[in-house]
Amino acid sequence: MLRRFSVRNKLVIIVLTTTLCALLICGVGMMLYDLKAFRQAALNDLDAQANILGRASAAALAFDDPGSAQAYLSLLRAKPEIAAAAIYTDQDALFAYYTPQPDGRLNLPPPQADQFRVEGNRLMVFKRIVENNEVLGTVYLQSDFHIWQWLRKYFAILAAVMALSMIVAFALSTRLQAVVTQPILAISDVARQVMERRDFSLRAPKASEDEIGYLVDAFNDMLSEVERRAETLETSNRNLAHEITERRAAEEVAYRAENNLRELNAALEQRVGARTAELEAANKELEAFSYSVSHDLRAPVRSISGFVFMLREDHPELLDAEVNRKLEVILESATRMGELIDDLLAFSRLGRQAIRWTALDMERLARSVFAGLLNEKTGRAVQFSITKLPFAWGDPTLLEHVWINYLSNALKFSGKRARPVIEVGANETENDIVYFVRDNGAGFDPTYGAKLFAVFERLHSDKDFEGTGVGLALVHRIITRHGGRVWAEGEPDKGAVFYFSLPKKGPAAL
Amino acid sequence: MTRGGNARTHERLPVAGAAILALCLSVFSCSAWAQADGQPEEHRLKAAFVYKFAGFVDWQSNLSELPTLNIGVLGAPEILNELAQIVPGRTVGDRAITARGVDPADLRDLHILFIGKSEAARLPQLAAALQERGILVVTEWDGALMQGGTINFVIADRRVKFEISLPAAEKSRLKLSSRLLAVAHRVVGAP
Repeated sequence: MLRRFSVRNKLVIIVLTTTLCALLICGVGMMLYDLKAFRQAALNDLDAQANILGRASAAALAFDDPGSAQAYLSLLRAKPEIAAAAIYTDQDALFAYYTPQPDGRLNLPPPQADQFRVEGNRLMVFKRIVENNEVLGTVYLQSDFHIWQWLRKYFAILAAVMALSMIVAFALSTRLQAVVTQPILAISDVARQVMERRDFSLRAPKASEDEIGYLVDAFNDMLSEVERRAETLETSNRNLAHEITERRAAEEVAYRAENNLRELNAALEQRVGARTAELEAANKELEAFSYSVSHDLRAPVRSISGFVFMLREDHPELLDAEVNRKLEVILESATRMGELIDDLLAFSRLGRQAIRWTALDMERLARSVFAGLLNEKTGRAVQFSITKLPFAWGDPTLLEHVWINYLSNALKFSGKRARPVIEVGANETENDIVYFVRDNGAGFDPTYGAKLFAVFERLHSDKDFEGTGVGLALVHRIITRHGGRVWAEGEPDKGAVFYFSLPKKGPAAL
Repeated sequence: MTRGGNARTHERLPVAGAAILALCLSVFSCSAWAQADGQPEEHRLKAAFVYKFAGFVDWQSNLSELPTLNIGVLGAPEILNELAQIVPGRTVGDRAITARGVDPADLRDLHILFIGKSEAARLPQLAAALQERGILVVTEWDGALMQGGTINFVIADRRVKFEISLPAAEKSRLKLSSRLLAVAHRVVGAP
């Protein structure tokens, strides 16, 4: 409920509540204390009265003069709260008494030793009268203790004081609350205006140097901070908008360029594809052509050598020595022509044949090929050495062909040495295995090394070393199709080294 | 409740009875004292009064320095007799009380001198010496105060009373308590 009131009213209510509580606690405390004091005072009063009476009547008792004692007691008439008084002799006989009521004498108690007694609303006191260490008698006093009357009076005063205090507190707090609420109301007013008008340039007035003053400072700082932020935000928004426009334009340009590029690429790819297809077609045609040419060439060559044989078999009488020699030349040429055609066919077949990938024991392959070659050309001592060769991945037939080529070449070119030496070995690089065949034969001019592996390229005359010029081209083609390389090193008359490499991973390297 | 009620009725009756009895007794005894001039009751009362006077009197002469309070009796053996029974063990302040019979030649260290009616003739000659010594003179005959007595017993309303002479007390350098004066039958020389 308190929540709905304004700060002003809350302050007043708080002050009034606090004041009321403080007053109530004070009032109750004071009342309890006063009640006790009042009772004690009444008792003390009665005690003092009894003492005075006792002392005053001591002589009357001593000299047996009830009249003067009675006169003393009669003075109590001035104290209306005294309900009864009596003096007894040392023999406990009633000596003199006083009561406001005519028949009060009958209610007097027998004398007793010194004591206070409270019975309901009555206080009673008995007091021995002692003179010269001798008990002369007893004083008895009884007084009405009007506690309710006293309380009623006390409460009335308390209520009046409290009412007055509350009125003063209300008046004061109504005046003084403005000191606290005015600055707060000023802030809240400014805050409301800021929210309504969205005007961050407003400032709350600072009226005091206390916490509220601090609040005003903080509030104003906050406002200026908000103002500054809003400005910054606006600037950055503007910049951002500008940037976005620029970027959009740039993106459009880039998009257009990319489109162009894509079109260009597509066109290029198309052209490349077309060219490749054209080339492939041309290649196929060429291969088909060379195959058919070779194939078709065999028949006439065979018929030439066949007819030469038939001439020599059927008509030896017609042939003299000169004719025979010339026929021999024709036959030889035809045979060579046949070989050439066979090699060409093999070469062209290689372009079409698929590779059967197998793990190959290269050392065994090299040894068996070399043994076969030696059988063909007997009667020559060749120093042949072979190191341990690593396994390789490849087509057994094709790689056998490679070995045949390299080893027969070595045999061929070292054939004129008194002691031909042929070494076979291998090195491993990171990705490849490099096999080589070294001989101490005729060697070659390194200037022409690049030509060695081309078709029909021969560095030596047929007179010196026979050959078709297709072998190394075939090796080149086989190794290339395996993903390897071929090359050679050499110098004239100092032997040569022929290398080929194969990828360790086999077909995975392609 | 019943018990309490009964107790109260029982209680009240004896109180009322006692009160009535006391009233009758006092009336009776008063009348008895009046008739009994020179009777034992009167002697006893006078002796007690003499002893009690000591508590209401200040001796301002050098008598106050004595360690005991001494009472002398001249010519009243009954009174001396009674006093001899009263004083043992009693004190005034912290002084013990003595009582003795005296003759006019022996008044040394006396605080109080009671002179019986039989010796009344001696007072006029003794008065100056007694006052000189600061002695409280108690007498029991009419006109004694005129002869130099300080306190004199009289019978009034059939009761033993006493009268006081302030000039005599002053001469004897005695200070009498106002409470004593208050119960006196008559005070002579009061302002």
